[in-house]
Amino acid sequence: MATATSEAPALAPAPATKPPRRRGRWTPYWLLLPGLLWLFVFFALPMVYQVSTSVQTGSLEEGYKVTWHFATYWNALADYWPQFLRSVLYAGSATVLCLLLGYPLAYLIAFRAGRWRNLIMILVIAPFFTSFLIRTLAWKTILADGGPVVGVLNSLHVLDVTSRLGITAGDRVLATPLAVVCGLTYNFLPFMILPLYTSLERIDGRLHEAAGDLYARPFTTFRKVTFPLSMPGVVSGTLLTFIPASGDYVNADLLGSTDTRMVGNVIQTQFLRILDYPTAAALSFILMAAILVMVTLYIRKSGTEDLV
Amino acid sequence: MNDMTLEKAATVEFRGLRREFGPTVALDGLDLDVRPGELVALLGPSGCGKTTALRMLAGFEHPDSGEVLVDGQDVTEVPAHRRDAGMVFQSYSLFPHLSAVDNVAFGLRMRKVRTAERRARAAELLDLVGLGDKGERFPHQLSGGQQQRVAVARALINHPKVLLLDEPLGALDLKLRRQMQLELKRIQTEVGITFVHVTHDQEEAMTMADTVAVMNGGRVEQLGSPSDLYENPRTTFVANFLGTSNLIEAEVDTRSGDGIVLKAGGGKLLLPEARCSAPTTTGGKVLVGVRPEKISLTHADAAGDIPAGRNRITGKIAATSFIGVSTQYVVDSAVCPEFEVYVQNIDRDAKLAPGAEVVLHWNPAHTFGLHADQSLLAGTTGSAGVGTVDDEAAV
Ligand SMILES: Nc1ncnc2c1ncn2[C@@H]1O[C@H](COP(=O)(O)OP(=O)(O)O)[C@@H](O)[C@H]1O
Ligand SMILES: [Mg+2]
Repeated sequence: MATATSEAPALAPAPATKPPRRRGRWTPYWLLLPGLLWLFVFFALPMVYQVSTSVQTGSLEEGYKVTWHFATYWNALADYWPQFLRSVLYAGSATVLCLLLGYPLAYLIAFRAGRWRNLIMILVIAPFFTSFLIRTLAWKTILADGGPVVGVLNSLHVLDVTSRLGITAGDRVLATPLAVVCGLTYNFLPFMILPLYTSLERIDGRLHEAAGDLYARPFTTFRKVTFPLSMPGVVSGTLLTFIPASGDYVNADLLGSTDTRMVGNVIQTQFLRILDYPTAAALSFILMAAILVMVTLYIRKSGTEDLV
Repeated sequence: MNDMTLEKAATVEFRGLRREFGPTVALDGLDLDVRPGELVALLGPSGCGKTTALRMLAGFEHPDSGEVLVDGQDVTEVPAHRRDAGMVFQSYSLFPHLSAVDNVAFGLRMRKVRTAERRARAAELLDLVGLGDKGERFPHQLSGGQQQRVAVARALINHPKVLLLDEPLGALDLKLRRQMQLELKRIQTEVGITFVHVTHDQEEAMTMADTVAVMNGGRVEQLGSPSDLYENPRTTFVANFLGTSNLIEAEVDTRSGDGIVLKAGGGKLLLPEARCSAPTTTGGKVLVGVRPEKISLTHADAAGDIPAGRNRITGKIAATSFIGVSTQYVVDSAVCPEFEVYVQNIDRDAKLAPGAEVVLHWNPAHTFGLHADQSLLAGTTGSAGVGTVDDEAAV
């Protein structure tokens, strides 16, 4: 600033010292500091630590040393790719189910609920009042062998079909992929509904009338007006569902079997039971990178970078 | 452009439309006939049911009873997406995710018109509303007036039989509003279809409409051309809502030829029988009205110069305000506490100052008579814009 002033002869002679009155200039940056510090301690440091752990070798007794042993990554992928695939598959199915279940509900709340709106909203959020773990355990009872749900599905011959598809086993639902996907869907449904509702609620109801006025039938109005305008909610809802679901291990642990293990379960076992820290760290890192790539491609494709 | 002219202008009829929202009666037996190719304005204070009536014509609202006819056909049960009515919404309601040209083309897309033809016709309509070069812009990149034009073009694309406009100019500033009034009138002449235009602005209705339907409390109070409504109001509501009227309570005295002699205060007033919408039995009460610009003002000292045969009232000037082309006087008189008089500024008389004793006089032909059993203040425009119950309580 000082040089710029001295180069402009038309101005009054520049004071020798720095111009005053600029004290407030740094205030916004100071305000950022706590946040930056937080990110550093709880995001950047663990990342560095995780990367360094993933390239260590050694054993629990002799201690681990950084040896830049990148082979851990290839070994982890080679050993556990089925679990990776399963994570993507289960999380993807749960996300699609959440969208199919959540969209009509969000639509109903936004446009049709009238004075029931707040009540339904509370009902959507109410499950959060009890622990994630308890709720998932409850599903164990709901889907238990010989329980009412299994009984009904069995008598309707639904289980015959699903078993042929390989997502249930015989007359069991518990300990099958279906149970895990159901648990994921149930647990992450509110994360889908809330952003969907927010973006639907912002849509002016007159737009529906305007479309109707221009010969759009109700379903066409939905396809050409409502749905495009709710895309920001769809994108953020699917991300908020898919990302945590693909790293989840509780549902697979409580509702699944050894055949339904997801990456989250492998990481958990490696870290807490086998104590193979490098493999666990490498797996975490691969999962993170994979999600990042998928999310980036997805956002690109849905063309809503500025809306998420 | 010529393919969109004329041919499809339709009649519109409302038959005894009634609609209640809980305790509110929005429409209370609305009857209205609109001739083909006419620009009719539904004029009335806010809350009188204008929007509800329009939405029934568009098919967004269903009447509790009564019917809507377009071109003689009962469309009451026809859903909005099968009616030939184009609607311009009060807040425009353009699709925010579509460009101007795609907004305009939306109606054609719904009718499965091919892309090339669609865009050509949309461009043609954007030209009609003077936005030929703004087609690729999105609604948020357009000014209020431009969005308004896009909304009009969008509503016209399917050749509707009737175009519905709900306070289309309400959100624009005064200057733009004047400009758009002329613009809409031009578009209407060009496309030649029936326009139903809702407004609470009497000046807008008078400027644009061929026929004005003055609405009050969910029904049509009076229907007519702007000048007919202005000159021959049949209720105090119309007399006050359209412009300003001075209303005097009077008693029928005698008849003389085709006129009626009335007693008001100490003096006598003459009223042409043809201009009285109330029964005139001797001794009965009548409200006598006269518009402020029809009145002349003479200082009491010069009262002798006033030609014979004019209606006269004496009073005292309470206030004057000079507004350039004219001067507005408020005169206190025995028959009417706040008589308003507008005098053109041709030869200003310096003696006409507050406190001066004056004689108000006018040609009896400019007098109109109304039924006496209504509030003198119905339809007066206060600062809030509408006469309210409070006004009436103050009588
Ligand atoms: N959907 C609705 N629900 C409840 N009341 C309504 C509704 N629409 C209109 N009204 C009421 O009906 C009356 C007429 O409304 P409206 O037709 O919008 O009047 P205007 O357009 O002349 O201002 C008002 O008192 C309004 O509050
Ligand atoms: Mg309205």
